[in-house]
Amino acid sequence: MRAVPHILVSILLLVTVGVQAQEVVRPVTSTYTMEVGRAHLHDTYLTPLGYDGLTTAITYRRAQAMKFNPERWVMQLNLSAGIDYTENPARNATMWGAGIKAGWDMVYRWELPYGLTVGAGPGTGLNVGALYLTRNQNNPVSAKVSWTLDATGYLSWRTRVLDIPVNIRYQPSVLLTGVFFSQEYDELYYEIYLGNHRNLVHPAWWGNYFTMDNLVSADLRFGGTWLTVGYHNTIVSTKVSEITTRITTHAFVIGISGEWLSLGRGALPSATSKIISAY
Amino acid sequence: MKKAIITILITVAGAFLPACHQIEEFDNDPRGNFRALWTILDQHYCFFKQKNIDWDAVGEKYYNRVYDDMNSRELFEVCSDMLDELQDGHTNLSSSFNVSYYRKWWSDYPQNFNLRIIQENYFNFNFMVSSGLTYGILTENIGYIRYGSFSQPVGDGNLDSVLSYLASCNGLIIDIRDNGGGDMTNVEKIVARFITHRTLMGYILHKTGPGHDDFSEPYEYYLDPAEQGRVMWGKPVVVLTNRSTFSAANNFVSIMQYLPQVKIAGARTGGGSGMPFNSELPNGWGIRFSGSPVLDAKGKSTETGIDPSPGCEVAMDPQDEARGIDTILEFAIKELQK
Repeated sequence: MRAVPHILVSILLLVTVGVQAQEVVRPVTSTYTMEVGRAHLHDTYLTPLGYDGLTTAITYRRAQAMKFNPERWVMQLNLSAGIDYTENPARNATMWGAGIKAGWDMVYRWELPYGLTVGAGPGTGLNVGALYLTRNQNNPVSAKVSWTLDATGYLSWRTRVLDIPVNIRYQPSVLLTGVFFSQEYDELYYEIYLGNHRNLVHPAWWGNYFTMDNLVSADLRFGGTWLTVGYHNTIVSTKVSEITTRITTHAFVIGISGEWLSLGRGALPSATSKIISAY
Repeated sequence: MKKAIITILITVAGAFLPACHQIEEFDNDPRGNFRALWTILDQHYCFFKQKNIDWDAVGEKYYNRVYDDMNSRELFEVCSDMLDELQDGHTNLSSSFNVSYYRKWWSDYPQNFNLRIIQENYFNFNFMVSSGLTYGILTENIGYIRYGSFSQPVGDGNLDSVLSYLASCNGLIIDIRDNGGGDMTNVEKIVARFITHRTLMGYILHKTGPGHDDFSEPYEYYLDPAEQGRVMWGKPVVVLTNRSTFSAANNFVSIMQYLPQVKIAGARTGGGSGMPFNSELPNGWGIRFSGSPVLDAKGKSTETGIDPSPGCEVAMDPQDEARGIDTILEFAIKELQK
C-alpha cells in the first residue's frame, strides 16, 4: 500500500486565498470527542425499575464534501463506543450498558445568509450493545442490536465570539426504519443458545422503535486545531414482544477537531484549487 | 407550506409516539412494593394454570394484611406467605435480612440420604474427587459417582478421568440425592457421555406476554454425544434420587430416565422444572420465580417431580440407616448385579 502524506491545513488560511473554481480540494473534518454525563436505563425484560447513573463515550466523527457535488452534498461517518454505569433506586443493584455505534449519512446543504447553513439527508447506522443487570441469574442480559435507516440534518452558524471564529452546530437525527433484535417477552437466552431463533428480528418503525440523537456543539477555531465543546442527548424507546426499553443520556462533550487534506504524492493544492469544506 | 406542515406533523408524532411505550411504576411504600411483587408474578410466573392457582384471589387475601406504616420485616412476612401459595422451590424473595423459601417440597418427606454413611461405610473415607465429582469403586466392582450440585463445575477432562478410572466396573451409580440443581450446561456435559446419537432432551417454552396463557410453542432441543475421543459410558447405570433432587438435577433425571441403559432409583424427585427468572421491587428486594417451563422428552411437565423407574422406588430403612447401610444404594448395587 502506498504511503500517503497527510498535511494539516487551516481552513482559515486557505479560504483567504483567492482561487478560481478549477481543481476542487475536499478537506476532511475530523472530530475526536469524549462524553461524560447522566444515563437512564430501563428495560422491562431485566427489571421493572429504572436505573440512573453515569454515561461515558468516545466518538470519532469524520465529514467531507462529496466528490460528485461537493458544494451541496456532505458525507459524515460517526463511530462511537460507550459504557454506562447505573444503579437502581434502592442503590443495591447495578446495571451496565455498553455499546458501539457506526453511522454514515449524506447531507444536502443550503447556504443561508448571516453565516447559517442548513442540511438534511438520509443515513444508516449499525448499533451493537447490551444491558447487563448484575443481580439477575438467568436473565441478566438484554442485547441491543439494530441496523437503521435514519434522517439527519443540521443547522450551523459561523460567527465570532471574543474575536475567535466559532462554528455553532445543532445536529439531530431520527430513525426512519430498520431492523432490530429482541428476544421474546420471557424468552431466556439459554433457549436461543439451544437453537430457538424464532421471532428474534423485528422491523423497526416509530411505533415500536424510536431513536433520536441531538448534538449541539461549538467548534472554537484556535488556528489549525479546534476545541469542540457541546451537549449530546440520545433517546431510545422501544416496545416489542411486550418488552419496553428506554435509554436516555445527557452528556457534556469535549474534544478536538481539525481539517485535513489527504493528497497524492506531489499533488499539493495549487493556487487555483478550490477548497470546499464539510462544515 | 405543505411540506412545512408535513414536517411539523412528523416531528410532533415523533415526540409523542415514544410516550406510548409506557412502563408501569410502583410507589416505594408497603402497598406499592406489595403491588409490584404481585404484578411481577402475575405477568411472568409460568405455572398458574398447571397448579390451578387463582392469583387474583391470592393477591386480595394478602393485600388485606398490608398497611401503610408496617415495617420491612412485617411486609416481608406477608409477601413470603403470599409466595408460599405458589408451592414453588424456585420462588424466593431476597432482602438484606432474609430470603424466603418454600420448603415443603422436601421438608414434608423423608430425606432418604446420609452422606456420612457412604463416605464411612462404603469407602472408608477413601474416595477421590475430581472437580465437583466424588467417585470410587464399590467392593462389588460397581462404579460410584456422587455429584452434590450442578453448580459445581465439571469439565470434559474431569469426566474423562472419572469414567476411564471406572471403565472396568460392571455398572455405574450416579448419586444425585440432595443435589439442588445448578447449571444446565453441566447437565448437558454429563448426559453427553451416555448417549450414542443425537437425542431429544425435552422441550422448552417461554411466556410471550403477561397473560397467564401466553406461551410460545414448545421448542424441542437435542443433545449430541460428546465429541470423538472422549470417554463414553454404555454399561448399565442407576441414578439415585430423593425429594431434594431439584431443578437442574431434576432436569438431569428427566433426560436420563428415557435412556435404555439407565434406571432411576430411590424416591420421587423434588421437581423444579421452571427456569427461574429474576426481578426486583422498588425497595430493592430481589424476587426469583419460575418463568420458563421445561418439559421432558415425552412433553410432560416435571415441575412436581419425577417418579423412580417402575419397581425402583426405595426408601431409606431407618434400621438400615442406624446400622450404617444405605438402603437405596444397596438396591442399586443389586440392580446392577442382575
